[in-house]
Amino acid sequence: MNKKFTKIYYDPYLFFSIFLLCVFGLFCLYSASNADASIAVKQSIYVFLGFIIMIVTSQADPDLFRRTALFFIISAVLLLGITFLFGPEINGAQRWVRMGSFSFQSSELLKLALPIFLANFLFDKKLPIQPKETIIALIIIILSFFLVARQPDLGTGLIVALSGLFVLFLSGLSWSFIGGAFALLIISSPLIWNSLLKPFQQQRIATLFNPESDPFGAGWNITQSKIAIGSGGIFGKGFGEGSQTQLNFLPETKTDFIFSVIGEEFGFIGVLLLMSIYFFILMRCLYLALSARDRFCRLVIGGITLTFASNLIINLSMVVGLLPVVGMPLPFISRGGSSLISLFFAFGIITSMGTHKKFLPQ
Amino acid sequence: MIFEERQVEKNNFSSRAIFLFSVIGISFLAVLLQVFALQVSSYSNYELAALNNKNYSVPIQSLRGEILDRKGQAIVRNDPTFDLITYPDLINNPKSFLELIRPVIYLSEIDEANYVKKFQEKAFVNKELVLKKNLTVEEIARFNVRSFALQNAFIAKRYRRISDYPKIFSHVLGYTSRSDNQYDLSMDIPRSHWVDAELIYANGLIQGKTGVEETYDKHLSGKHGKRIYETNARGRLVKAIGYYPPKKGLDLNTNLDIQAQMSAAEALGNRKGAVVAIDLQSGGINVLYSAPSYSINKLSNGMSVKEFQTLIADSNKPFFNRASQGRYPPASTIKPAIGMFGLTNKLITWNDEVDDPGFFTLPENGRIFRGWKEGGHRNVDLKKAILVSSNTYFFKLAYQSDMEDLALYLSSFGFGGKVCGDCFDEDGVFLPTPEWKFSNLSIPWFTGDTVNIGVGQGYLVATPLQLANYISIIANKGKGMMPSIVKAEQSISKIDNPRDIPFPNPDWRKMHDALTGVIESDYGTARSIKNLKNFQVAGKSGTAELVSLDSKEAYLEIRDTELLRDHSIIVAFGPMPYPRYAVSVVIENGESGGAVAGPVAIEVLKSLLNE
Repeated sequence: MNKKFTKIYYDPYLFFSIFLLCVFGLFCLYSASNADASIAVKQSIYVFLGFIIMIVTSQADPDLFRRTALFFIISAVLLLGITFLFGPEINGAQRWVRMGSFSFQSSELLKLALPIFLANFLFDKKLPIQPKETIIALIIIILSFFLVARQPDLGTGLIVALSGLFVLFLSGLSWSFIGGAFALLIISSPLIWNSLLKPFQQQRIATLFNPESDPFGAGWNITQSKIAIGSGGIFGKGFGEGSQTQLNFLPETKTDFIFSVIGEEFGFIGVLLLMSIYFFILMRCLYLALSARDRFCRLVIGGITLTFASNLIINLSMVVGLLPVVGMPLPFISRGGSSLISLFFAFGIITSMGTHKKFLPQ
Repeated sequence: MIFEERQVEKNNFSSRAIFLFSVIGISFLAVLLQVFALQVSSYSNYELAALNNKNYSVPIQSLRGEILDRKGQAIVRNDPTFDLITYPDLINNPKSFLELIRPVIYLSEIDEANYVKKFQEKAFVNKELVLKKNLTVEEIARFNVRSFALQNAFIAKRYRRISDYPKIFSHVLGYTSRSDNQYDLSMDIPRSHWVDAELIYANGLIQGKTGVEETYDKHLSGKHGKRIYETNARGRLVKAIGYYPPKKGLDLNTNLDIQAQMSAAEALGNRKGAVVAIDLQSGGINVLYSAPSYSINKLSNGMSVKEFQTLIADSNKPFFNRASQGRYPPASTIKPAIGMFGLTNKLITWNDEVDDPGFFTLPENGRIFRGWKEGGHRNVDLKKAILVSSNTYFFKLAYQSDMEDLALYLSSFGFGGKVCGDCFDEDGVFLPTPEWKFSNLSIPWFTGDTVNIGVGQGYLVATPLQLANYISIIANKGKGMMPSIVKAEQSISKIDNPRDIPFPNPDWRKMHDALTGVIESDYGTARSIKNLKNFQVAGKSGTAELVSLDSKEAYLEIRDTELLRDHSIIVAFGPMPYPRYAVSVVIENGESGGAVAGPVAIEVLKSLLNE
């Protein structure tokens, strides 16, 4: 008993690589805010808070998350409801919930609650997953997607849906079902384009393929981002020396397009370094998932990590012009308290699941 | 409930997890490849795009070269004036600023309205804005006293294009004014940036519009410089990051002679006409003057519309360059060329004599062609015919000539074509040939037409420039050249030397002798100017008839109308026997050639020879 209390659960690899990311991110944020230190200082407070949250979360036994999975998802849905009823409208969307001076993007919680809930629902089912369970899981996923997507926040809605789908896939969804679903998706894609996507969302996809068609409108962001990254070259223009960033040609430098700042000021070398850290984190999480103590932990680590990875890839692809512009921050680097806190919370859960070993009979 | 995980389930998870992570890994690779494509493969494109985003280059106007006379004295120069210039970005309210400046600088209501309008258009970019041009000494002093309170304005030098001889060189040098395009696309500066150009001329970007200013615009205009500013996304200038100084245009060394041009203008006075003088050694044009004239200073630096309209409407046509575009019958000045044609084609010899009864009768139809002297000159050979200007002699000679051959011969003296290498808008006129007459007038050529050509009348016309070129060739004993305003090393005239005129040297000596006799002998038609100088001059005078009349009485009748009076013409060269300059003078409605145009030619020659 005594021994158990003194043990602190943490993963040194994840801890230090995330620490490295955050420090790097703070420097980038400082540069992206035209050397206005207050933004970086505020962000560093969130980073500090985040580490505490991550360590505290790591100490909880995985079983705690399993037992509270239902409660967790219900709270997340309630929070979305509160946002819908009372949240302020910012840029035509209700995404935030205010708690005192702290505002929180309510969908962040569902991104974690959904995979944990589905992992709990599916971990003890026999392989392959039966149609009944598959349908139930899909209904939950689709409901979650619409809850977020109608804010409207299509990007996060897709991420939430992905987080559930990853768990469903990892828990042994039958291949025939996957094949059928894909076929359905392709057949119904014109319908999705015409009836589900709003005109501005269609516009974003259109400009991706031809950003020059509208250089000062929807294409501006992509064009300027590509110029920023491209003009960084191999070694970059130097810290605080990026003309695209410092002279405000680049939009949203502190949030969605902060990767372009890195590309411009630190060049290909900087990009390579950053992506190596991310890649290392992902590999470490894969290792933790494979060596986790049970199937529930594996599913949760796998689901959350892949969600994190999708988030990352979407941001990177968007910024370099491979995907249409969707509001998606760069994890651990972009400005924003709630996404940072929920990231640390997520990695706290991963650490908890990855480091708590099965109690071995002595 | 504890779920016992079996190995098969664990393997299933592992393979699926590794599959998804591989997809993530491939996506990573795709992003990395795209970044590589942007940063390494297309680096130079994006580097340029980033520079184009932030760099804003502003052109700096270059100073135009000066135009110098043959002794290096400036004819046209850049005259600095002082202008009041403001910094719009330091002025919040232009109207209250004007309140502040009003006691210091006189401003008309139009000045103020213009300023406010421009201010609203340009205040966004923090650039200079001129408030008032050409400040007086008092205004400058008043401003300097109060300058501490007017930090948003300053006084700076701006130039105007000025000639100290504004009305004398108008036609040959021409004028400058605001260029049609207020931009220069030969520079690597976008067109839209030219509104922000740093100007040094009070009237903006200027270009030559006529004369040498136009012909040599490229030499004179120099190269604009530029200042490169860094701008942010909103277009605000952040800092200056590059400066390329403008290159001043080349000073142009012309063959013009200020003193000689002035003496030509003085001698012509307020008569209409033209004077052209050519340096026989270089072919340089020393004088090219046309009267009446206008002020290039006013035209270059802003002339009131009313004043301009008056000039345009003036029946004396001050803008018309009589020297290079005026068409005048050469009259008797053509006789030396006709004589040379006769000698060359063996139609006459120096010794052949002709009886001059005062007229020539055309054998075909008995038409009478009169000489200028009642009763004639009796027995005349070629020398005497030139000296006394016998019409009958040359009527007869022309009568014997083939017009095609004669026209070809005249063309070798430059008639019927442009003779100047770098004159602005020169008129080459035409050569009268049977073919020309038929295609222009639809009338066949008559022998009588050729007879008239013999005394430089009828269809033969030439510009004073062509006459000067013609007499230069005779003075140089047949050596062809191409007259040029600008000295050879800078001249744009193509040096395809016109062919020389073959004529035996003894004949040249006799011809010069005869032409010297026109002025220096007691029989010469221009002997009245003999004593105006103390060097010998050769030449030939002429009286160009504007109306074809049969008798002196008839002329005395029309003489009352000044515009129908004969033009007086002289071509001359000197000093003899080794001539250095040739000159042609035409005075419209001046009558008797030698006595009227002669003194002008002598004044110009004296001035060129520093006598």
